Amino acid sequence: MIETTKNSICDNSIYFLMWGWGTMAACVLEYYMKAVLNSPYHGMAWLIIPVLFIVQFVIAFRKRKQENVKTFIGEASAYLWTALGISYCILVFIFAKIGWEYCFPFYIIFYGVGTYVSGRLIRFKPMAVGGLLCFPLAVASVYVDFDFRIIMLGVAIFISYVVPGHLLRVKHKKQNIMNV
Amino acid sequence: MFKELDPILHSQLRLAVVSLLISVKEAEFTFIREKTNSTAGNLSVQINKLKEAGYIDVLKQFKDNYPQTICKITPHGVKAFETYVKNLQSYLTIKK
Repeated sequence: MIETTKNSICDNSIYFLMWGWGTMAACVLEYYMKAVLNSPYHGMAWLIIPVLFIVQFVIAFRKRKQENVKTFIGEASAYLWTALGISYCILVFIFAKIGWEYCFPFYIIFYGVGTYVSGRLIRFKPMAVGGLLCFPLAVASVYVDFDFRIIMLGVAIFISYVVPGHLLRVKHKKQNIMNV
Repeated sequence: MFKELDPILHSQLRLAVVSLLISVKEAEFTFIREKTNSTAGNLSVQINKLKEAGYIDVLKQFKDNYPQTICKITPHGVKAFETYVKNLQSYLTIKK
């Protein structure tokens, strides 16, 4: 019974998939604009993020209305991602002031922190491992040029958000079938 | 050798409710009913007994114009559950 409860609350894969694919799309678009088109407006690719924030709020609002149980893990996750969301926004202001050259290593570190802690909280190994892999990627990204750094950010998002997000969804669906 | 089992918790549905509530922060009546596969009437009676024993807190309010009942385990309830589990173990680990 406790296991069923745990299962019913840990399917937040929609957020990981939304942010994962959204950020990856922004990475690909920025890389294309910068490396292929040589556009000085390559940073505009990140305008997709405010849109994702709006979608996130809409989904969270709807989910909250349907929610009939509050868990400690859910609450801890909410606090963690709220703090990280604020941190991402603050980083935008900081890098807008000091320059965007080395912004990506910091974002990769935050992806690692969020997904590692979330993965440990819900005891989902692929997410925790994906989060851990972000840390060496963050270090490595300092030693490459800006164009390649964009690709590394995409890789970090892919291993920490997209892959675990899909695996979490599959796991949840399997558990739902077993519980029926 | 055999320790006494709390009669409040030594009932299938009440034990199920407490087992559920111990793993979450709080839960709605509908969630507990769904998970325990019980009827609303029976669950309501058992929840009242747990409330009278001081094992759970029950908050009744309105959500979108519908009545909503939220249950939450109390520290006293957590302690009682832990004692129940500990005492039950004395029945399971019999030294021959």
